[in-house]
Amino acid sequence: MYFSDLGVIALMLATGFAVFAVITAVLGAARDIPQLKTSAARAVLVVAVFMLLAAAALIISFLTHDFGVRYVAEESSLAMPWYYVTAAFYGGQQGSLLYWAVMLAIFSAIFVLSSKRAPAALVPYVIATLMTILTFFLIVLSTVSNPFTRSPVAPPDGQGLNPLLLDPGMLVHPPMLLMGFMSFAVPFAFAVAAMITGRLNSEWLRSIRRWMLASWTIQTVGLILGAWWAYHVLGWGGYWSWDPVENAALLPWLTATAFLHSSMVQERRGMLKVWNLVLVVASFLLSIFGTFEVRSGVISSVHSFAYSDIGAYFLVFLAIAVIFSLGLFFFRLPRLQAEQEFDSVISREGIFLFNNLLLTGITFATLWGTLFPLITAVVRKQEMTVGPPFYDNVNGPLLGVLVLAMGVGPLLAWRRTSMRALWRNLCVPALVAALFAIILPLLGVTSVLANIGFAICAFTASAIFYELWRGAKVRHSHGEPYVLAVLMLFNRYRQRYGGYIIHLGMVILTVGIIGSQFFQQQQDFTLNAGQSANIAGYQLTFLGNIDAHNSDNESITSQLQIWQNGQLLRYIYPGRTIYNNFQDQPVSQISITTMPNLTDIYVFLADWQGASQAQIRVFINPLVVLVWYGGLFMLFGGVICWWPERRRAPLRAAPVEHGATSSPAATTTTV
Amino acid sequence: MSESAGSVTKKQLEQQVAETRKAQPPVWYRSRPMLIVALAVILLALSWTYMLIHDETSMTLDQRVYQVASQLKCPICQGESVANSPSALAQQMRGIIRQQLQEGKSEQQIIQYFEQSYGPSIVWSPPWQGFSLLAWLVPIILLLGGTVVVFMVMLDWRKAAATAPAVSGAGTLETIEVDEKELAEYRKQVEEELAAEDPLFWRREEKH
Repeated sequence: MYFSDLGVIALMLATGFAVFAVITAVLGAARDIPQLKTSAARAVLVVAVFMLLAAAALIISFLTHDFGVRYVAEESSLAMPWYYVTAAFYGGQQGSLLYWAVMLAIFSAIFVLSSKRAPAALVPYVIATLMTILTFFLIVLSTVSNPFTRSPVAPPDGQGLNPLLLDPGMLVHPPMLLMGFMSFAVPFAFAVAAMITGRLNSEWLRSIRRWMLASWTIQTVGLILGAWWAYHVLGWGGYWSWDPVENAALLPWLTATAFLHSSMVQERRGMLKVWNLVLVVASFLLSIFGTFEVRSGVISSVHSFAYSDIGAYFLVFLAIAVIFSLGLFFFRLPRLQAEQEFDSVISREGIFLFNNLLLTGITFATLWGTLFPLITAVVRKQEMTVGPPFYDNVNGPLLGVLVLAMGVGPLLAWRRTSMRALWRNLCVPALVAALFAIILPLLGVTSVLANIGFAICAFTASAIFYELWRGAKVRHSHGEPYVLAVLMLFNRYRQRYGGYIIHLGMVILTVGIIGSQFFQQQQDFTLNAGQSANIAGYQLTFLGNIDAHNSDNESITSQLQIWQNGQLLRYIYPGRTIYNNFQDQPVSQISITTMPNLTDIYVFLADWQGASQAQIRVFINPLVVLVWYGGLFMLFGGVICWWPERRRAPLRAAPVEHGATSSPAATTTTV
Repeated sequence: MSESAGSVTKKQLEQQVAETRKAQPPVWYRSRPMLIVALAVILLALSWTYMLIHDETSMTLDQRVYQVASQLKCPICQGESVANSPSALAQQMRGIIRQQLQEGKSEQQIIQYFEQSYGPSIVWSPPWQGFSLLAWLVPIILLLGGTVVVFMVMLDWRKAAATAPAVSGAGTLETIEVDEKELAEYRKQVEEELAAEDPLFWRREEKH
């Protein structure tokens, strides 16, 4: 009896209980038998326990180096440190699917445990939907993609992870991104439940808002971590290459962002019901599409570590999900009437519509670009590539307009804004933008497009600060000192001001994107010991190469000095590591030095001859560091928005406009 | 709650209106915000057109090589352009681009040269012709179509809301009362948005 056998048993039992949960939940809801509903909820908890058990079995198999398990032998080796051995859990296809399923089970359990807050009528159907999805994954896991499959003879040592994955990024990026992908299942389950029960008012929306926020934040972190990983590992000086798999991860994020905005319109004004459903369903379907795309190898990509024949399973699942959601959707279309009327184009609702248009535009363009090579191959039998220039040209301008809309949006009122008030609100940000547009060229920003981008960012950033200042002023006029007023704003109106922090993060990120897009410099140098390379005012002096032999790898490290204005700034050590098991894939140790002026000096060792010659590739990447800071802001803002508000005594005068809160625990939104 | 929060501001508003009535500023002063925004827009436009005109700084050969190379996909790499790839082939190709640029060939000619030797999939972005034109046109057309649809929908909704009064333009004919009312309305809206379930504002209510 091995731990892997325990894993197989746990998977089987989990499958059984998941199916049981689906049946009891649907029966219980249809016949209105409370015992069955309770039974379904408990079955979800049991499934979660078994899934955790299966995960534990795989982790123990890894940590005990049980190479009789094929997956363990493929993904780990004796020489790997324990943390990478643990991370190898999701290093291949089988394990990453198991991780998906485990996370889905955990999220389902969290949902069940917190389901008192959700509308009671929806709960059984949410459970049924989640468990159906989980059942699909469990079927895949126990048939075509079983991580616990044993080989007849256990090899003495495993192959080990692909060296590209032996990086701290491996410990954080895949779990975050996979969790993000998975988490879109919960809002989807709510949407399905709302459509089945026909309870399509704002109730279900309020329940999933925080789930969606959590998914969004996790996905944001996953994306930023992926970009950071690519930046410091791949050696081409960039962080986002519009690779099909990157696109797949971005697509649900875009629709989730659109949903977070448009759901406010429904909560406030009872409009866009249909559209919100579409966005929730689309986010989930796009995340399944992403998983399908990564696994099937239909579209070629750098993330090609895990191709297999399970693509067909995902395609079938995707097709069923699409047909099922479409069917439900048309079935309920008559009930999706707007409750309130629209007053004016120049209003918060109007700009949210515009925001949604832009986000879906970016989503579609990205999806289209990803699929176009496939379409060409099928229709014209021709190979073709859709690379970064396409996405930059299409999505770049859209991003600019989106950031601009982000600045204008908060200045508009719900229902309608008088033009006069609008002009007044626009004064300060517009002047700041103009100031930037005039000063930046004098400081050497000669590109028009970059200048336009920076001016837009300045506009939006100042609009956000202006709005913050105005909120503080209102509180100040009620007798609070300014500092306390700002703190209280964040404390009281988490969603509104957390949202501003996210917007600010997005602006910072955009500045980083513009900087790296327009001002990157790069040059190749072949240097002998003692020679120097000059680039962008920095001088890099090459001293020599160090060759080190370790137990499972050989590493070559170049030693260089960075000089500026005759001053030695620091030593850097770009290098290469060649793992014994992967001789043909030398991993680069890239040296990235961030200067105080937010410029990265990115040095990549391209080639070397003996101890005294090196060929290096130097990138000067201005402002890239802002991409990471922007990401941090977005994470921080997301957490602020998500953080539960303290429960307060029931309101004295229940605000009619802010939604008839059915349960006191439901979070009120004041955005 | 919203009404009571409004009553606070209404008094202030009446005071303000009374004060402003005493000294009626001229028309240009009243439409000052719009003028400031207009000024900012003019400044932006001036700065950008100036930059466009003076943007003819000739690129160095390195930059031109980079520009051409970044439009070509490295044939042996995964997802890297000829400009960024460290592979030997990409380096060779950069050498060819440099040579051809020095010979005076145009960027388009060089790209065509590589297309002939490596096939159309070497071009990093779909060309603006033939079938691949669809790659560009479909998103653009859908986006424009989407804009039209959104506006139609919004107009439709507005028609449905016939009771709503039309949005007032920024006409200079408006009286100060109207202006100030709008301003106060805006203030009221900010306060209302903030006032929901906030004890700070409740205290004020009790006093009044």
